[in-house]
Amino acid sequence: MTEMSPAMLALSALPVQSAPGWKLFGKVPLRESPPKDSKTIQQEYEAKASKGGSSPSQSAQGRRKNLEFEPLSTTALILEDRPANLPAKSEEEAQRHRQEYDEMVAEAKKREMKEAQKKKQQMKDRFRQEESIANAMVVWNSEILPNWESMRGTRRVRDLWWQGLPPNVRGKVWSLAIGNELNITSGITMEHRRQIVKSSLDLIKLDISRTFPSLFIFQKGGPYHDLLHSVLGAYTCYRPDVGYVQGMSFIAAVLILNLEEADAFIAFANLLNKPCQMAFFRVDHELMLKYFAAFEVFFEENLPKLFSHFQSSNLTPDLYLIDWIFTLYSKSLPLDVACRVWDVFCRDGEEFLFRTGLGILRLYEEVLLGMDFIHIAQFLTRLPDDVSADRLFSCIACTQMTSSNRKWTQVFSSLMKDKEMDKSSNSSPKNS
Amino acid sequence: MEAIWLYQFRLIVIGDSTVGKSCLIRRFTEGRFAQVSDPTVGVDFFSRLVEIEPGKRIKLQIWDTAGQERFRSITRAYYRNSVGGLLLFDITNRRSFQNVHEWLEEARSHVQPHSIVFLLVGHKCDLDAQRQVSQQEAEKLAAAYGMRYVETSARDAINVERAFTELTRDIFELVKRGDITIQEGWEGVKSGFVPNVVHSSEEVTKSDRRCLC
Repeated sequence: MTEMSPAMLALSALPVQSAPGWKLFGKVPLRESPPKDSKTIQQEYEAKASKGGSSPSQSAQGRRKNLEFEPLSTTALILEDRPANLPAKSEEEAQRHRQEYDEMVAEAKKREMKEAQKKKQQMKDRFRQEESIANAMVVWNSEILPNWESMRGTRRVRDLWWQGLPPNVRGKVWSLAIGNELNITSGITMEHRRQIVKSSLDLIKLDISRTFPSLFIFQKGGPYHDLLHSVLGAYTCYRPDVGYVQGMSFIAAVLILNLEEADAFIAFANLLNKPCQMAFFRVDHELMLKYFAAFEVFFEENLPKLFSHFQSSNLTPDLYLIDWIFTLYSKSLPLDVACRVWDVFCRDGEEFLFRTGLGILRLYEEVLLGMDFIHIAQFLTRLPDDVSADRLFSCIACTQMTSSNRKWTQVFSSLMKDKEMDKSSNSSPKNS
Repeated sequence: MEAIWLYQFRLIVIGDSTVGKSCLIRRFTEGRFAQVSDPTVGVDFFSRLVEIEPGKRIKLQIWDTAGQERFRSITRAYYRNSVGGLLLFDITNRRSFQNVHEWLEEARSHVQPHSIVFLLVGHKCDLDAQRQVSQQEAEKLAAAYGMRYVETSARDAINVERAFTELTRDIFELVKRGDITIQEGWEGVKSGFVPNVVHSSEEVTKSDRRCLC
C-alpha cells in the first residue's frame, strides 16, 4: 500500500472519490518503498477503481500513455469526466479540458526542468568553486609561500590574493603579510599571563562572551573562550598604555579562528601597532578625524550624489566608520565576507579599509539615497546579513582611490600637514 | 511611509559598560530581550514612535553609546545634539552607581550651551537578590540632580515603556512651555510632518484626531 499524502487522505473521505474519472497526481512522500511516480500511482488507482465496477475512460488512458512525463511537484485533482450522477461533458468542453490539462502538464514540466537546471548549475558552481580553492591552495602552498618575498608583489599573486585566500593558507598569509615588526618571539608567555592588569580583566571577561555570540565558541565553556581571554589579557600586559578597548575582542577572535595560538598573538599585537589601528584604539580623536576627512575626500570623488545626500542629512562618517574600522568589519559584515576584506587589507594596508567602506556605500547607494538620517545610520551599523562577497568586491573594484591624481597616503599626509590651519575639523576639505 | 509625528527628539543613552544600555533600548524598540548582545563600539542607532497622548506622537531617535571610558572622547561629541538622556546604572553593580556623578559632569560640560533632560535608570531590577544600591539611595541622588528615577528590567520588561515615555513627556512639556525651542543647526528637537505645526496645547487638542492615519 502506498503511503498516503494528507491531501489524498482528505480526499478519501469525500464521497466523490468513489466516482470514476478522478485522476490523482501528486508528490507522494518518499518512504522505504521504491519511489513511485505519479503515473504508477494513477494507474494503480485506476486499476482499483475499475475493479470497483465503473470503468475509467479508455480514451483518456490511451492518450495519457503518450505523455511520457507527468509532473511530480503538483498536488491536484483533475476531473476527467463528470461523476456518473451528472450529465456528461459536451465534446467541445471535454476537448477544452483535455487541452487545458495538457497545457498545465507542459507548464509544470517546463518549471521542473528549469528548477533542475538551476540545481545543476548550482552544483556545478559549487564544484568549480571548490576546484578553484583547491587549485589556489596548491599554487599558494607550492609556489607562492616558499618564495614569499620575491612573489608577494607580483601581478599574478596580487590577483590571486584579491580573489580570496583559500581558508587553509589564510592564516599563514595573514601572518606573513602583517609581519612581526615588534619582534615578539614567544607568543603569550607565562610572564604575560601573570601580569595581566586586573582592571581590564573584568571587562575582557564580560566582552569575550559577547564576541560572535552566535558561534558559541568564545562563550564560557566554549573551545576558544580561554584562548581569547589569554590573547586579550596578554595584550593589555604587553601594551598597558593601550590596554583593552572594546572592539579588540572581535579582531582577536578572527585571528584565533585562522591562526595558531602563538601566531595569533603575534599577529594581533603587530596588527594593532599599525598607525591607523593605533590611532583608533588609543582613541586619538584628532587623528581619527583626519582619517574621516580623508575618507570624505574619496567619498565625494567616488559617489558625489550619495555624498551630498549624507551631508544634507548631517550624517558624518564617524557614525559608521568607527564601528567598521575598530572591528575591521568583523562585526558588521558576515564573517566570510569580513575575512575576504582582511585578505586584501593584509595586502594593501589601511587604505583598503576605507576603500571597503566606499564599496559598501556604493553597493547600497540606491537604497541609501532613499533613506533619512536615522535609517541610514541604522542601516550602516547593522548591514544586511546577506551581503554577497562577489558583489561587494566588484563595488570595491569600482572604487578609485585617487583624487586629483593624489593617492590615499598623499591625501592623508596633506591633511596631517593642514593640522594647525584646519580649525573646523568636521568639514570636508576641498581638493579641486 | 513615515508615520506622522509632532516632534522628533534625539535621546542619548549613557552609563558604564555592561549596565545593559543596548538591551534596554532593544526591549523598547524591538520588544524583545537578547540574552547576549555585541558590545557597542562607538554608537548605535534606534528609533521608535511614542504616543504620549491620544494622537500625539513623538518620534524618538535613540543613540546608544559605548560605555567604555576610552570611548568618551568620541561619545562626548554626541551630547550636544541630544535633548534628553537616559543615564543607566546596574543596581547589582555599586561601582556603576558611583560613576553616575561623573557621567553627569561629563555630559553637562559638553552640552553647552544646551542642556539635556536626564532620567536616572536603575537597571536589572529583576536581580533584586543581588542588589547593591537601594531604591531610596538612588532616588535621593536623582532628586539632588533634579532627575526622575525609574527602576527597569529589560529581561522582565519592567518599566521599560514607562522610562522612555516619562522622559519623552517631560521633554514635551518643556517644549510646549517654550523652555526648549527648535533651533537651526541643533538636532535635539525637530518638528514633524504635521500639516500645521502647532505649539499651544489647545491647538494640539483640536488637531490631534486627524493625525491617526
